[in-house]
Amino acid sequence: MSHWVKRGLTGLLLLALAFGAEFGLATIIPDTAYRQLCMLAMVNVLVALSLNVINGMAGQFSIGHAGFVGVGAYTGAIVSSHIHLSLGARDYAFANSFLVVPPSIIAGALVAGVFGLLVGLPSLRLKGDYLAIVTLGFAEIFRLLIATTSPGSSNTGIRAQIAKLGGPQGYAGPSDFGIAQYAGPFWVLGGVIVCIIIAWRLKFSGWGRALRALREDEIAASAVGVDPTNYKVTSFVISAMGAGVAGALLAGMRDGNPTVQPEQFNFAFSFDAITMVIIGGSGSVSGAVLGGVFVTVTVKMIEQLQRLEFVEALKATHPEFDINALRMVVYAIVIILLMISRPAGVFGENEIGRWFRRREAKT
Amino acid sequence: MSALKLTHVSKRFGGLKAVSDVSFEVPEKTIFGLIGPNGAGKTTVFNLVTGVYDFEGEISFGDTRIAGKKPSQIAHMGIARTFQNIRLFQSMTVIENVLIACENTRKAHLASALMRSALFYRDEAEIRKEAMRLLAVFKLDVMADEISTSLSYGNQRRLEIARAMMLKPKLLLLDEPAAGMNYGEAEGLKEQIRWLREEFAITVILVEHNMQVVMGVCEDIHVLDHGETIAHGAPEVIKKHPKVLAAYLGEEVDEDAPESAALPA
Repeated sequence: MSHWVKRGLTGLLLLALAFGAEFGLATIIPDTAYRQLCMLAMVNVLVALSLNVINGMAGQFSIGHAGFVGVGAYTGAIVSSHIHLSLGARDYAFANSFLVVPPSIIAGALVAGVFGLLVGLPSLRLKGDYLAIVTLGFAEIFRLLIATTSPGSSNTGIRAQIAKLGGPQGYAGPSDFGIAQYAGPFWVLGGVIVCIIIAWRLKFSGWGRALRALREDEIAASAVGVDPTNYKVTSFVISAMGAGVAGALLAGMRDGNPTVQPEQFNFAFSFDAITMVIIGGSGSVSGAVLGGVFVTVTVKMIEQLQRLEFVEALKATHPEFDINALRMVVYAIVIILLMISRPAGVFGENEIGRWFRRREAKT
Repeated sequence: MSALKLTHVSKRFGGLKAVSDVSFEVPEKTIFGLIGPNGAGKTTVFNLVTGVYDFEGEISFGDTRIAGKKPSQIAHMGIARTFQNIRLFQSMTVIENVLIACENTRKAHLASALMRSALFYRDEAEIRKEAMRLLAVFKLDVMADEISTSLSYGNQRRLEIARAMMLKPKLLLLDEPAAGMNYGEAEGLKEQIRWLREEFAITVILVEHNMQVVMGVCEDIHVLDHGETIAHGAPEVIKKHPKVLAAYLGEEVDEDAPESAALPA
């Protein structure tokens, strides 16, 4: 029975860690901007973890992950803001967050999961580039549908419903006061921990094994009884649900952006997600965590770089010098160097500590 | 009752008729040979039986019709196969290759894998034990944790058969198992195929070019050429069948030529 005791203790420890983050993060990192960065990094880890299910484990290629995150963000924002309103609460008290955050996360995951199913089912006939185009199409349709439907009286029917999402200016809650922002470090870190555990267990299970087999040889896998349709659709739905969780947390993040805007979920977002997965190593849970943190930090570092005095001075004399564009150059250099030295990403398909992997393999 | 029955089965790829009106019956627990020159449609027949392509006509496995079923469903009905060019899951270990084959029959599903329930651990331990037992039968248990591509060619062939046997099939389709084997290895393969049938009480259908193996082990042989049936019968009959000799030699049979020169027994 010691196994269950160990498991209970681990659970308590992780819970304590999440609570510690909730009340201790402000002490450890006093600067709000860096705290924000920390939380954003965790949300991006969720994005990378969920994309890793499709692009890494299942070996499909989705370039429209922003769409699923966006669906989760809008759903989460709507749900949390409405609950907040009905609670009649003025501030975002931590105790109330237990009433607000779980429903918004679940709603975000479920709605994104439904979209995952809708996109996944027809896409199964497609492979490689063709599947990528469909996923990109979905993400762009989602973004543009909202961005081009400005609130106004001229909208009727379904357009009127979409217009309630605020059009290009973004959604700011039912009474335009901003989205309820309950998701503090407890929820964000808690979400990351739960999703890492889920991703790990998926990977080291018969299901993950079958997915790997399908990725390597679909014909051989189906000849030994693995149904490609079943596994591919499930992986698509699971990935979309993870993205929905990330979206809901992104929308409701404490001290975050009080609106969700369609432009947040553009192609660059999907591209960043792919970069995270590739840098860390496709199919690796540890790699997705590393990639999520790395990409978030580089983006921020370049932003910080712009505030440096000599850069400011340089910008004053050379207005054409755009340091934001430098981000892409940095990415490109990092990816090129990485692909030369470690073609499969930092971790390849492995995880931190092969000991774990062996242990999992033997159980 | 027959294990497998093909009735007027045809398959076209565009203008090419790969299999044309083929009918045969495979009695239960026999070792059945399906032979013919290159391009005769032997592998296509395997692909039809395992659901890779749709077809005209009827194929029944026991009482069940194959038409319209997915390859994975057919695998679960009890038809396992190997491939002409070995198709292992290359980055996976030997035992993982075998474990894939029981993925859909296990009791613990996705939910219990996520919960890591007691059922999950028990189930995982059970199938691992079963896989090890099967690997031991094929003398592959000592290399269970090796990456499958690091195995020798012969061991990879055996692993592919072990993986197929993990499905607990009633019918095993072997696609050119003797390819690349020398005389001694092929002799060993004959023994192994007979032993497989006895040990697991299965029916075996063999597609093979190596006449040493086919004539030595098969009890019943069906010969295809250009997708059409040209002969059917016991090895002794097939060996002397004029159409078979013609198909293999590509010319009319000279009555005076010694048979042994045409087809080594």
